[in-house]
Amino acid sequence: MLIPRRVKYRKQHHPKRRGMAKGGTQLAFGEYGIQAVEGHYVTNRQIESARIAMTRHIKRGGKVWINIYPDRPLTKKPAETRMGSGKGSPEWWVANVKPGRVMFELSGVPEDVAREAMRRAIHKLPMKARFITREGDQ
Amino acid sequence: MAEIKLTAEARTEFGKGAARRIRRENKVPAVLYGHGTDPLHVTLPGHDLMIALRNSNALLSIDLDSESHLAIPKQVQRDPLKGFLEHVDLLLVKKGEKVVVEVPVTVTGEAAPGALVVNETTVLSVEAEATHLPEGVEVSVEGLEAGAQILASDVALPAGTTLASDAETLIVNVTAAPTADQVEAELADAEAEAGIEHDAPESDAAADADEAPAESTESE
Repeated sequence: MLIPRRVKYRKQHHPKRRGMAKGGTQLAFGEYGIQAVEGHYVTNRQIESARIAMTRHIKRGGKVWINIYPDRPLTKKPAETRMGSGKGSPEWWVANVKPGRVMFELSGVPEDVAREAMRRAIHKLPMKARFITREGDQ
Repeated sequence: MAEIKLTAEARTEFGKGAARRIRRENKVPAVLYGHGTDPLHVTLPGHDLMIALRNSNALLSIDLDSESHLAIPKQVQRDPLKGFLEHVDLLLVKKGEKVVVEVPVTVTGEAAPGALVVNETTVLSVEAEATHLPEGVEVSVEGLEAGAQILASDVALPAGTTLASDAETLIVNVTAAPTADQVEAELADAEAEAGIEHDAPESDAAADADEAPAESTESE
């Protein structure tokens, strides 16, 4: 799973959720992609799960790119703990995805296979997302 | 490519408020510059411009105050979700002038079985006459084996077009696709790390169900 090797601050503030994606809104590497329609935090487990779902469907012959990285830690206090006593311990690593961001890209497979693979991957993601192609992108 | 005629209006108001008012009227704010002249801020009809920009490197003939300007799109800003045009930068050109533009690369044909074709560069910079800009270039990978590479210098360009980017730029890389076993092993490792478990196949579950009562009778 994707996880930062070293971070400057172990516990961070929650990333900002407002606004649209400023970059990475078009396909850069592959012929097909998954574009976020809503903003959401995407955990490293969700990213990995989506990648596995996609790769399982295409089997061999395709190449997958992951354009997002879970670089922000989210913390959680243990259950049944009184408030106070400092911030909880890091529990998840998330990517702060804004609407319009192309999260995954795929190439080397026919469009119908890519569409089905990415449909399966979208089910693993927490937000509304859509399938895009290079032809439709231009 | 034929010129596409568009009628422009000069823009007098600037800023996001004015730009939003223009967009609400189904028009697009644009700027026209080049040849060392002062930039011209204009408004273009939204629908006509959208249709014109469907062709990459469309040659536009902009009518502004009874003057006609030839231009090509330099930068197009779109809404990332809805895709409507937000702003367009247009570069003034003259007939016969050579300009450097980016053209899309299309991969055609089927590589050899077991090969994975990766299009490393999707746009190629070329120099061509402004009035004869290519819409795109095609690269054939028909029958290529794993290990083959197509560089920018190998791409067949249309007549009158020369390469502007580095000749050593990798356009298409043909690699060996991983075998089914390799993919399965990699996925199994990833699933184990992520803690993903699969339900037992139905045939196995049925076999377990058959065996269970037999075991229970034996124990009795």
